Amino acid sequence: MVGKKWYSSEDSAANILGFVMIAAGLIVALTGADFAAFNFSAWRGISELSVQFSGTSLHSLARTFAVLAVLFTAGAWLKGDNTLRFFGGFVFLFVLSVIVRLISAEYEASRYLEWAFFALFIGLTVSNTIGVPDFVKPAVQTEYYIKTGLVVMGFSVLFSNIVNFGLYGLAIAWFVTPIVIIFMWYFGTRVLKLNNDPFVITIASATSVCGTSAAIATAAASDAKKSDLSLAVSISIIFTVIMMVLEPVIIRWLGLGELMGGALIGGTVDSTGAVTVAGTALGKLGQTTAVLVKSIQNILIGFIAFAVAVFFTSRRGNGKASASEIWTRLPKFILGFFAASLIASFVVQPVLGRPFVNSVNKLLDQYKNWAFVLAFTSIGLSTNFRELREQVSGGKPLILYVVGQLFNIVLTFAVVYVVLSGKYFPLPVIAQ
Amino acid sequence: MKLKGMDRMNRGLKVTAGLVFVLSVVLAAYIMVNHMGLADGLDFGAGAYYYADIPEFDRFVSACAYETRIPSWVIFGIFLLWGAAMYRLWVWIDGKDK
Repeated sequence: MVGKKWYSSEDSAANILGFVMIAAGLIVALTGADFAAFNFSAWRGISELSVQFSGTSLHSLARTFAVLAVLFTAGAWLKGDNTLRFFGGFVFLFVLSVIVRLISAEYEASRYLEWAFFALFIGLTVSNTIGVPDFVKPAVQTEYYIKTGLVVMGFSVLFSNIVNFGLYGLAIAWFVTPIVIIFMWYFGTRVLKLNNDPFVITIASATSVCGTSAAIATAAASDAKKSDLSLAVSISIIFTVIMMVLEPVIIRWLGLGELMGGALIGGTVDSTGAVTVAGTALGKLGQTTAVLVKSIQNILIGFIAFAVAVFFTSRRGNGKASASEIWTRLPKFILGFFAASLIASFVVQPVLGRPFVNSVNKLLDQYKNWAFVLAFTSIGLSTNFRELREQVSGGKPLILYVVGQLFNIVLTFAVVYVVLSGKYFPLPVIAQ
Repeated sequence: MKLKGMDRMNRGLKVTAGLVFVLSVVLAAYIMVNHMGLADGLDFGAGAYYYADIPEFDRFVSACAYETRIPSWVIFGIFLLWGAAMYRLWVWIDGKDK
């Protein structure tokens, strides 16, 4: 048997592609060249829709297609796939992804729902009506796009954010998060007896860390099924809309004030956009406090995904796995994700400064989003409604989310009260 | 007898989950249709799931919004110690009663 080359695994290909994108982003940010990926601007009505396809936009869209097609086809070649067949399918998948991004840029829709929702919806509609054409199937590779997107995303996970809110932030964001995860793990696996550990950890991290991005990272780290990820993300999206609106109302009604209210929002609302908007509803201090806490939660993704990967790797097989076995089995894209984060935090940021890192991330973020849109459209294309119905398991996933989120709110409130009520510790001074 | 109790509990869970699902979808749809909870001047909302998706995110959180006298290494140390302790707890709980 011919031994496999080190670069021919999906994880290695994802690491190589991810770092090629990061390197390109660094070079472009240094030289000031135009490398930005296409992004539809928010539109309302047909007149604004038609502007989306002006000459400049089409040029940018064509460049985005060229970059992604070349990179992902090269990765397919590394993995030993038939590149011509992959490319044919990729063209169709990219066209579907363009439709997804166009719909999700609609002004009202974009303020409430993530593109993940539309990607799943369109993918599911195609696969459950006309069906997925055979020539598309070689490009429907969810994990490949997710892992590549995650390595790119690693560059935006900056460790320096841990100190953003001192010990206050650490107590609110980091004391609570693992306790909620462990609680939901116990509740899901032992009380509800859900027979799907990767799903339990995926929804637990979506609830306690930061919604979709945490779900994507832990689903990949725990080798969850595509339907696990789509269900966890769907539940998180619906409840984020509700919490973004109701939490500020309840906080004002309880008279918690902007400092405690903002911290509670930052620690419990899933998406960063929703946290910012809900914090703003309380006032400027509420907004700053909410975003400070959330900025710490955003960096937890890397640590949680790493811990989940080690945990699931060490449970595989019989008996206790040795360190070398864990290393061999560990999904290597997690190392790429972590390495990208370390390089951004401890090399690029200290040398070239935070504004430079931000400019690189501004470039990379859209490529990461395209990779995730390709992934979620692929999930929709490869899932049928029966699978999703089975996934619902008599409503247990929803119960797990609701109970876990309530526990998260109660525990976060308790910690916020202890550290920010001014009764036990001095109040922090926050510049607005 | 025990099976009957389990059946009843499962049915109860199913009904509760069904009710929660319908209520939450209706509530989310009502919020979206009535444009509730959005902030004037902010062109994003729950749809921006990650901080890098928010344009000029740094304007919301300046690195010096809060300044602490506690050295960074102490905060990093506590962070890592708590993480390690929680990981051990997770492994212990998972191994219990197996």
